Amino acid sequence: MTGIVFDIKEFAVHDGPGPRVTVFLKGCPLRCKWCHNPEGHSSEIELFWKKEKCTGCGLCRQDIEHELCKQLGRCWHHCASGALSISGQKWEAEALVERLLSYAPILNDCGGGITLSGGEPLFQPEFALEVLKRLTTVHRAIETSGYADETVFLRMLEVVDFVIMDIKLADSDVHRSYTGVRNEEILDNFARLKASHKPHLIRVPLIPQITDTEENLSAIARIVGDSPVELLEYNQLTPTKYAMLQKEFPLGEIAQPSKVDLSIFQNAKLLKL
Amino acid sequence: MLEELRSYILKKKHHAFRSPSGIDFAAEFAEKRLNPRARVAERFVRICEMEQPLLMPQERIVLTRTVTDPNAIFIKEEGEDRIDLPCIYTKEEWLQVKEKHFIHEAGWLSNVIPDYSLILEKGLLFFRKNADEYSCKMIDALIDLTDRYAMEAENQGKMDVVETLKKVPRYGATSFQEALQMIRIVNFAAWLEGNYHVTLGRFDVYCGPYLEKDLATGVLREEEALELLCDFFMALNKDTDLYYSIQRGDNGQSLTLGGVDAKGHPQFNMLSRLCLLASKELKVIDPKINIRVDKNTPVEVYELGSELTAVGLGFPQYTNDDTVIAGLLEKGYELEDARNYAIAACWEIIIPVVGTDIINVGALSFAKVIDRAFHEYLKKANSFEEFLKYVDLIIMEETEKILARIQNIWVIPSPFYGMFFPFEDVSKGGKYNNLGVHGTGIATAADSLAAIKKYVFEEKSISAEAYIEAVDADFVGYESLLAKLRYDSPKMGNDDDFVDDLAAHLMSSFADALEGKRSSRGGQIRAGTGSAMYYLWHPEEIGASPDGRRKGEGLGTNYSPSLYARCNGPFSIVKSFCKPELKRIINGGPLTLEFLSSMFENPEGIEKLALLVRTYIKLGGHQLQLNTVNRETLRDAQKHPERYPQLVVRIWGWSAYFVELDKRFQDHVIARTEYAL
Ligand code: SF4
Ligand code: SF4
Repeated sequence: MTGIVFDIKEFAVHDGPGPRVTVFLKGCPLRCKWCHNPEGHSSEIELFWKKEKCTGCGLCRQDIEHELCKQLGRCWHHCASGALSISGQKWEAEALVERLLSYAPILNDCGGGITLSGGEPLFQPEFALEVLKRLTTVHRAIETSGYADETVFLRMLEVVDFVIMDIKLADSDVHRSYTGVRNEEILDNFARLKASHKPHLIRVPLIPQITDTEENLSAIARIVGDSPVELLEYNQLTPTKYAMLQKEFPLGEIAQPSKVDLSIFQNAKLLKL
Repeated sequence: MLEELRSYILKKKHHAFRSPSGIDFAAEFAEKRLNPRARVAERFVRICEMEQPLLMPQERIVLTRTVTDPNAIFIKEEGEDRIDLPCIYTKEEWLQVKEKHFIHEAGWLSNVIPDYSLILEKGLLFFRKNADEYSCKMIDALIDLTDRYAMEAENQGKMDVVETLKKVPRYGATSFQEALQMIRIVNFAAWLEGNYHVTLGRFDVYCGPYLEKDLATGVLREEEALELLCDFFMALNKDTDLYYSIQRGDNGQSLTLGGVDAKGHPQFNMLSRLCLLASKELKVIDPKINIRVDKNTPVEVYELGSELTAVGLGFPQYTNDDTVIAGLLEKGYELEDARNYAIAACWEIIIPVVGTDIINVGALSFAKVIDRAFHEYLKKANSFEEFLKYVDLIIMEETEKILARIQNIWVIPSPFYGMFFPFEDVSKGGKYNNLGVHGTGIATAADSLAAIKKYVFEEKSISAEAYIEAVDADFVGYESLLAKLRYDSPKMGNDDDFVDDLAAHLMSSFADALEGKRSSRGGQIRAGTGSAMYYLWHPEEIGASPDGRRKGEGLGTNYSPSLYARCNGPFSIVKSFCKPELKRIINGGPLTLEFLSSMFENPEGIEKLALLVRTYIKLGGHQLQLNTVNRETLRDAQKHPERYPQLVVRIWGWSAYFVELDKRFQDHVIARTEYAL
């Protein structure tokens, strides 16, 4: 079984207990307007182009040999200036597991583990579940938008030790206008998560004037109850990766962040990134 | 804490009180044909007499240089250096000395650690009893100066300073404040005598008991002790621009914390903890802090260290007792001495009191070794194994070349500083007289070897001739090859045995080449993994390299991946760099990891960094340096230096104010940030 991975990050410090190795699976059914990871959207392999490094030599368009490069229309193998690179790599589940388990001694010693993230890791459900199932000797976490079929979600709960799940917006219509999907499925999955008694953490991205309003946060506080919550401060810099994929950043201007009152939650803390 | 004093010093307000000596000591000494000890003593005494007491706001640990010589220069092989002390030899005389002797760097005693325990216990009058006329004169001049400080303190009503100076430096210290003042006086005098890389050794071990006594008897509360310590740390920053160094900051004023005692018991104490706090509080570049750790060090020590790392000064640096002590034993150090090691200047290992090793006599350029093998032997070699044999041969040749220069070593005598070592004349050597040789560009070399092995001998996708042509053309016209080499080839730092084994081979070969060799003082030769300024000098000796490094591009600092290697991350780097047999290369030189400063925005990042450091130590790594960088800030600081007077960056084994650095150092720091973790 194969899946597409766009990054494996060693020593991730915000993706679960202890230091972690986080695997980013490519592809996401949502399109959050504030998303900082646009290479996580499409499940296809894509080309990254750093304009400021490009010398305009044109070599990448000549003598293209590799199948993949032909599809992409440019060959990164010819680019000596470091301007072109590939986002996305096909992995056999078995090979990925082997690579990940090579970290097990260090991770176990540090009280860390492996985290599957994305994109949306459950957007490649069979691959994600297969990988998690085989990672038996190390702590496993998942970072999910919660947007997944009931069966997939329940199966996932069987093979992880820790779940990090986003709840972005409480109102389903507003959720839809900012992420492209309604939130009923997400909230149902949250209820399943809670019922499972699996250790978990709810993440709320604080998008100025969109998710960080008092109304939204109090509604989320009511939904999550005593679950631990991390409010993620939004990085005000325009994400650079849109330009590298030659896409527009959909949020455009970012408004002033609101003052957030942590005490409306039973159990929340703020995370600066 | 001590904000007024700190800002006074950082704004260089004390510079207003400086004036030149105006004396041409060298000419006078030459005419009188004075012997070396007499010259050193005479200059010291006369400058002490000219020194004016200067007390700064809030300051309680006193002594500041006011006499300087802004026009003084020091002659060395590659040209001249500024030293800010009038010379004691004329140019002609000095060239004559150099004809007969090997003169290391500035020629003065450096990187050695005096017996601070004994100094603190006994005071200078104790040493005066057995001293010769020169040493006596110097002690007297120094005491006279501190007496004038006491008078000035009395005028200003700083009575605790007066009381302190009644005891030290004449007699032994009886309190923490006296101990700190004594160390400052000796440190001040050691620099003023002419010595450089005046390092502080195991500060917590020899000074800790004074703190603990004062805390136990209620003489001091912890906050008061911390304030005194901050005062002392600021004192170490007063005169740094006057010290002999490549760039301001490279002055070797390091202190070492933790480690074990002679019996192997852990030493991390109250003072060790306070040092980390004081440094975190002050955010200044001196003293540079080193922590000795081992596989059993509790995680709290790493957490305290990581909190300091998060401040962005580029220290503490960690050194692993498990690896270093084992390595020292193999080099013939006795167990008790090995357990007592400290960090000399940047990262070099030295034994306090008894070690007079010259720890940085030269550097092997691994990149040049490969460059030579590539050009001289690649076409001849029938197999990779054969090629590697040539590489070993060149390592042997190059190390012999480095050592051949070092005959008949002569060091300028130190009638003052030398008193605190248990040897007749420490400038002639002590118990350990080994030499240390750095090794630079290991990743560039290992990556090059891996590419040669893979493409020339295994895949046979490129001929030796074509490869050499491409490298000699600096890859112009060979862009696809260049792209493949840079971005799609095995790189050290990815936990890939294919290349890591070659790095391990190069390191062993380096250690082998030095095995059994002797210095002209009878010592052994230690291999190391430091780069010092060679990371800028060595690439100038060669063109492009077979790993795709283009002409003029730098080498990594110390023991680190190549500047443009796309590494998987810190776990892989740590694993790769632990593969060589590190106990054979313990002269010093840390694995250097660069982290984005955003990593430390949350306490979680700091806690987890502590675990990463512990992992490196448990895996048997020898030394680790962690830098925090922020690319945007650095770029902006280059454009608007006036906005960033206090931005600190780590260079190779020392930290500096970014805006004070020459541009080529600045550029290298910025290049390093490209692949920060
Ligand atoms: S090969 Fe690289 S530098 Fe040249 S045009 Fe293509 S992207 Fe730009
Ligand atoms: S769910 Fe995450 S990856 Fe997907 S669009 Fe939203 S922010 Fe981006």
